[in-house]
Amino acid sequence: MKSKELLLDPVVKNNPIALQVLGICSALAVTSQLKQAAIMGVAVMIVTGVSSAMVSLIRNSIPNSIRIIVQMTVIASAVIVADQVLKAYFFDVSKQMSVYIGLIITNCIVMGRSEGFAMKNKPVASFLDGVGNGFGYAVLLLAVGVIRELFGSGKLFGVSILSLTTEGGWYQSNGLLLLPPSAFFIIGVLIWVLRTYRPEQVEKE
Amino acid sequence: MSETAGKTLTVAAVLCGVCSVLVAGAVVVLKPKQVINADLDFKKNVLMSAGLLKPGTDINEAFKEVEPVVINLETGKVAEGVDPKTFDQTKADKNPDFVESISKKNDIAGIKRRAKLQKVYLVKKDGALDQIVLHVYGKGLWSTMKGFLSLDKDALTVRGFNFYSHAETPGLGGEVDNPKWIAQWPGKKIYNEEMKPAIDVVKGNVEPGMPNAEYKIDGLSGATLTSVGVENTFLFWLSENGYAKFLTNVRTGEIQ
Amino acid sequence: MKFLEHFFESKKPLFEKGGKLEKFYPVYEAIDTFAFTPDSVTKTTAHVRDALDLKRTMITVVFALIPAILWALYNTGYQAHLVLASGKFQAIGWRHDLLMSLGLSHDPTSILSNFIYGALFFIPIFLVCNITGGIIEVIFATIRKHEVNEGFLVTGWLIPLIVPPTIPLWQVAIGTAFGVVFGKEVFGGTGKNIFNPALMARAFLFFAYPAQISGEQPWVAVDGFSGATALSQASSGGAEALNVSWMDAFLGFQPGSMGETSELAILIGAAYLIYTGIGSWRIMLACVVGLVLMTLTFNSIGSDTNAMFSLSVQWHLVIGSFAFAAVFMATDPVSASMTNTGKWIYGILIGMMGVMIRVVNPAYPEGWMLSILFMNAFAPTIDYFVMKANIKRRMARHV
Repeated sequence: MKSKELLLDPVVKNNPIALQVLGICSALAVTSQLKQAAIMGVAVMIVTGVSSAMVSLIRNSIPNSIRIIVQMTVIASAVIVADQVLKAYFFDVSKQMSVYIGLIITNCIVMGRSEGFAMKNKPVASFLDGVGNGFGYAVLLLAVGVIRELFGSGKLFGVSILSLTTEGGWYQSNGLLLLPPSAFFIIGVLIWVLRTYRPEQVEKE
Repeated sequence: MSETAGKTLTVAAVLCGVCSVLVAGAVVVLKPKQVINADLDFKKNVLMSAGLLKPGTDINEAFKEVEPVVINLETGKVAEGVDPKTFDQTKADKNPDFVESISKKNDIAGIKRRAKLQKVYLVKKDGALDQIVLHVYGKGLWSTMKGFLSLDKDALTVRGFNFYSHAETPGLGGEVDNPKWIAQWPGKKIYNEEMKPAIDVVKGNVEPGMPNAEYKIDGLSGATLTSVGVENTFLFWLSENGYAKFLTNVRTGEIQ
Repeated sequence: MKFLEHFFESKKPLFEKGGKLEKFYPVYEAIDTFAFTPDSVTKTTAHVRDALDLKRTMITVVFALIPAILWALYNTGYQAHLVLASGKFQAIGWRHDLLMSLGLSHDPTSILSNFIYGALFFIPIFLVCNITGGIIEVIFATIRKHEVNEGFLVTGWLIPLIVPPTIPLWQVAIGTAFGVVFGKEVFGGTGKNIFNPALMARAFLFFAYPAQISGEQPWVAVDGFSGATALSQASSGGAEALNVSWMDAFLGFQPGSMGETSELAILIGAAYLIYTGIGSWRIMLACVVGLVLMTLTFNSIGSDTNAMFSLSVQWHLVIGSFAFAAVFMATDPVSASMTNTGKWIYGILIGMMGVMIRVVNPAYPEGWMLSILFMNAFAPTIDYFVMKANIKRRMARHV
C-alpha cells in the first residue's frame, strides 16, 4: 500500500470508530470540550504511530507465546511517556482529562494496529498506519467535540460562539450534550450518515 | 522462528529493561517541570479566590504578597514548630496524628474527619493584612467539592471563592463555577450579629428588600442539593469545628 | 365530496411511478386514504380477518386517554387560576389577552374559564408536537418509500400529557423530533422500536433542559411562580410535608405534568383499555405489585435522613406520575414484554425500580420514566428466557 493510503484510508474509508467501532469509551469521555478532544486525538495519533513502529521493529524477535504482552508493554510505555509529557507541558488539560490519557493503553485501536498491522509490516509503513488510524480517531473525536461543545456550552475551543441564557444571551444550552451518553447518539448519527453515503460499509446480514 | 523458554525469557527481560528505562527516564526528566506546573496551578487557585488573578498577571509575582501560615484549629493560633513552606496539607489530611473525626451531629459538610492543622493564606497589601484565604471542602450532590474561600481582613465579609475540584452535574450543579454566580458572593457577610455562621444559599433569587439579604445568595436553579452542599461546606468550616477560633483571633488583631 | 374525489384522482398520475412527484407518493397516499377508502381492498377470504388493526388499536388508546386529557385542560387552568387568585402574580401574554377578550376572568371557580385557559396551554404544545412528529414521519416515509402510518398518533397525544404546561414550544419540537427519530425511526419505524418514543422524548428534555421540566418552576402555568410538586414535598419531609389531601391527589387537584395529576381519570382510561383488551392488565397490576413490594421494603428498612423511606403505599400510588406511567407507558405493546410471564416480570421490576429511584436517588425526584426505559431495553431478554423455559418444560414433559 502507498503511504498516502495508509495515512488517509482510516479517515473515511476505514474509520476505526465509525467502521470498526473501536475506542468508543474515550470518545465518550473526552469530547465535551473540543480542546480535550484535540489533545486526546493527537496523543492517540502519536502513541499508535510510535508503538506500531516499535512493535514492527522488534516483530521478528517477539516469541509468539508472549506477543500480546510484549505489545502491551510497548504501548503502556509509550502511553506513560505521553502522559508525563502532557503533565509537564499541558498541565491544565491533563488535569481535566485525568485518567483518560492513561486509559489510551486500553484503547483497542492501538492494540488492534499493533497486532493486526505492525506484526506483519515494516516499521515505516507501520508508523504511517498507526498515525493514520490515530488520525481517523482524532477526526471523529473532533466532529463529536464540535457538536457537543457548540450546542452543550455554546463555545468552540473555549471561545463563546452562541451566547448562553445563563450569561444573559439567547441560547439555552443543551445539558444532555454535556453528559457522556450524548456522544453515543452523535457517533451513532455520524455512522448513520457515513453509511448512507457509503453503503458498502453496511454489514451484510 | 524457533521458540524456546530461554529465548522467550530473554526477550521479555530485555524488553522490560528497555521499557522501564524509557519510562523512568521520562518521569525523571519531566518531574521538575511538573512540580512547577502543579505549584503554579495551586497558586493560581488561591489567587483566583482572592480575586487577584487578572489576565496577564504573573502568578509567582502576585503570590509574593501571599503568606502561607499553618494554624491549629483547636486554638485558632499559629501552630508551633511547623514550617508552612514544607507543610503538605494533602499529607496532613491523612496523617493520624493530626486527623480528628467529626461527630455526626456537627458533620454538616459530610466529610467525616478533618486535620486539625490547616494551611491558610494571608494576603498582604502594602505589608498589612488584606485578605484571608481558607481551604474548604465538603459534599455536593455527587462529589466532594474542594475550594478556597477568601475573606476580608475584618474576617466577616466574603471577598471571593472558587472550587478547584468537583464533579457536579454539568449545566446544573456544575454552575458553581459560573463567574456570574460567584460574582454575587463578594460583600456578603458570613457571621450574624451573634457571631454564628449565617451564610445562606436560598432557593430562587434574593430580593434586595429581603430580611437578612446580606447573608443570602441565590440558589443554583435546578441544583438544590449542590446549593445546599455549598452552604453546608461553608457553614462547617466557619463553625467552631472549623476556622471560627482562628477568625476571632484575626478580628482581635492577634494574628496579623 | 365528489369534487374532492375527482381532485385526488386527477392528481394521482403525478405521484405514481414515472410521475413528476413520484417521490412524494407516501404523502399523497396518506392524505388520500385518510379521506377515502383505498382502491385496493381485500376482496377474498384469504386473509385472517380481524377487526383489529394498527389504526383501531391506536384510536382505542386515544379514547382511553380522553378523561386524562379533559382533566389536563381543566386542571392546568385551575392551578394557574388558584395562584393568580392569590393576587401576588400577574398573568400576561397572549393567552391572558385572549381569555379577557372572550369575556372570561382568571376565576378558579369557573369551570369554563379553567378549561379555556388550560386549553390555551395544552393546544399549542399538542400542535407543535404533532406537526413535528408528522413532518418526521413523512420525511422517513418518503426516504424509505413506505406509506405514512398511524404510529405517531398515540405518541402525539402522550407527549403533551407528560410535560409541564410551561414548557417552551421549541423544546417540545426538539424533544418530539428526538423521541421519534431515536425512539423509533433508527430501529426501522413503527412496531420495531425498542423504546417508547414518548418517553424517549421526555427523557431527552429531562436531561437536556432540566430547568424547564424539573424543579419547582414549571408546574403551574403562571410566570415567576414556583411551587414544589407533591413528590418534592414528600422527599423533603415525608408524608407530613405534603400539602394536598390524599383525596385531592387522587382526584388530581395538584400541580404536575399536564395529564398525570388525576389518578381517577387515568383509572377510567385503564378500565377502558382492559375492557377492550388493548392494554395488558397483567403489566398494570404487576407495576402496582412491584411498587407495593418495594415501598414495604423501604418502610421496614427506615432511615433517619431520608423521609421518603417512610412514605406509605397509598401516597406512592397517588403522587407523581405512577398511574399514568403504569397504564399508558409501560403497556405500550411494542416496547413491553410479549409473553404473559414476561409481562409480570417486566411490570414488577418497573414498579420496584421506579420506587427505588424515587426514594433513594437524590437527583431524580421521579423514577417511572427511567425505570420503564430501562425495562424496555430488557423486555426482549425477558421474553427470550421465558420462551426458553417454556421450551425446556415441554421437552421435559415429552421425554
